[in-house]
Amino acid sequence: MADDVRRLSDELARDPGSRVFVPLGEALRRQGQLDLALKVTLRGLERHPHFADGHDLLARISVDRSDLEKAFDEWDMVLRLVPGHLGALKGMGFVCFQQGRLAQAEEYLSAAAAQGDGDEQVASALEHVRDARREVAELPRDPSRLPAGTTHDPRFLFADVLSEAEQTALLLDRDGLVMAGAYVAWDGRDVGQEVGAELSGVTDAARRATRHLSLGEWTSIVFETEVAVVAMTPSTNDGLLVLATSRATPLGLVRRLLDRCAERARRWQGGRI
Amino acid sequence: MSTRPFASILDSLTRQRWVTAALVVSERDGIVVESNLQIGQSGDRVAALAASLYRKARLSAQAAGLGAVSFMQLEAPGGRICAVGGGDLVLVVVAEPAVNVGLVRVELLRAVGELLAAGGEVA
Repeated sequence: MADDVRRLSDELARDPGSRVFVPLGEALRRQGQLDLALKVTLRGLERHPHFADGHDLLARISVDRSDLEKAFDEWDMVLRLVPGHLGALKGMGFVCFQQGRLAQAEEYLSAAAAQGDGDEQVASALEHVRDARREVAELPRDPSRLPAGTTHDPRFLFADVLSEAEQTALLLDRDGLVMAGAYVAWDGRDVGQEVGAELSGVTDAARRATRHLSLGEWTSIVFETEVAVVAMTPSTNDGLLVLATSRATPLGLVRRLLDRCAERARRWQGGRI
Repeated sequence: MSTRPFASILDSLTRQRWVTAALVVSERDGIVVESNLQIGQSGDRVAALAASLYRKARLSAQAAGLGAVSFMQLEAPGGRICAVGGGDLVLVVVAEPAVNVGLVRVELLRAVGELLAAGGEVA
């Protein structure tokens, strides 16, 4: 391997414009020399910005550097250059799965499987993603799946308002204790209590901040994470409504969902449900 | 060493239309590291509260396994507070309701890299 790196380095030194930067970058990546691999690849791409294999390599280096967003962008570029590129489809499926975007992961892996070359790795990954989606979908969030007489179980207050398995909503009281809804993590766990504990005091801090700036009463807080968009709005009696959706959800839709959930929470707290 | 290591970041943010204040705040204790404020704005209090909100967002995202928080915005009828985090620092912008949030978001996310670099120099 070290000989390969030396040979390829010499070759690149002799002809800096060659495409040998890809096997050299790959060899360095496999050796774990990620910074050097990145440097070589970026320099190569400066000369060959439309070379799909170069972007594919950059994506794989980005995964090794735990920069999934960068990896996704690079594979997206590969797909633009070479539609149906198997490596890019597999890679984007992997990134989406890691980010909990199961529906998109299934789309990319299905497209990869449709290439028809019988790649066992793709088939196995696709099965894994479908299993994960089934597990999330089977969580008892649909009131119609509840046992008789439990239609008004507060855990399912927002079940019919939310449109996708990757959306989840939670109503907290002023102390951050869960009143209704659930906060389902991408792996299916309800982490409502943990999230509530961390968000305790948000309403008060937001109110004080807007008061100091004379902005009026706050109406919403939205924050973006690596895998989700989380939106919050104040609720009755200093409560807090929290909605989480996947990053793929347009912000306009997030607002609509937040408004619908808030209305549902108001009616429930007012004893109208 | 410059006494205003974040000056260029803050200046570029406050040049945005409808942005009324930009601050670099320590997330841990909410203390203002550097700021561009309009006369009369209570920077210290707002900084502490914005840092507190950002910290709560970050910790709740951590509890839910959602990864790192990139951008946060608080909306009220009279304006917005936007924030991004970089290391132990939070970059906070206060803006009027008419502000182009998309533009501010892009500027803030772009500034995070500079914030980390400048923060590294002063650390």
